Amino acid sequence: MNSFKYLSPASTRITKSLIRQAPRDPVPWAPLRRPLHQATVSLVSTAGISMRGDPPFDAEGERRNPWWGDPSYRVIPRTATECDISVSHLHIETAYIYDDLDVALPLRRLAELEAEGLIGRAAPSHYSFMGYLLDATELLEVSVPAIIERMRREGVDVAIFVPV
Amino acid sequence: MIPDLTAAWGAPRVAAIEFPFGRPLGQPHDVVTQRAVLRATLEALRDIGSPGTVVHLPFAWPEPPDRVHWHPKEPSPIAQLMGRDPSLFKRLVEGDIPTAASKRN
Repeated sequence: MNSFKYLSPASTRITKSLIRQAPRDPVPWAPLRRPLHQATVSLVSTAGISMRGDPPFDAEGERRNPWWGDPSYRVIPRTATECDISVSHLHIETAYIYDDLDVALPLRRLAELEAEGLIGRAAPSHYSFMGYLLDATELLEVSVPAIIERMRREGVDVAIFVPV
Repeated sequence: MIPDLTAAWGAPRVAAIEFPFGRPLGQPHDVVTQRAVLRATLEALRDIGSPGTVVHLPFAWPEPPDRVHWHPKEPSPIAQLMGRDPSLFKRLVEGDIPTAASKRN
């Protein structure tokens, strides 16, 4: 597995530096509390996806200040498709997601695996934040606890984090 | 997706895949691959028994890396800034982010 296959030499240097900066804390662990075929599953995408009725992620703020990334989050209902969303991520080609949401947030594929019985059910709510964040403090202190609270309310057993 | 980075920062279970940025599940409308990737990810979650385990998913992207298009049409703001002032690259590599600049403006 080559994590750097698609990265430029400059981006590879930055990424390797981020790997070196990682804290050496014990890795958290939560055992699966019920079998997968009974579990409620929620997806979390880093693609900066928002529903069209909601404010998009603040790409203009990042253009004004390239060191900054929008640390907020959005809720995406399980029924969302590419017709319902906006994608605000200035570091990837977003056209593929507008073409087919499932390339990054596989809600239809999750519904199929629910129908098939591999998982118990897809949660009512799924989530996105925008993955370009050089400073993740506000994400960790504000957005993530809010996501966790909503997941608990909806009885989520499994969170699948889907980076882009 | 950068599995080495995800694992280094403490993800409890990692399903690693060598797909290009922006399309972690596969190509648009490739329902079969998308479903297989999601299935393999959920099976990895079910089967991994110890914290920090990385499972390498057995999928290969159909294009060679130099043919893959994943960059945005306009370079990202930080890439443009580095282009204008290459001396800032060192700060980025060292994680020396301007504190005032990391605030919303």
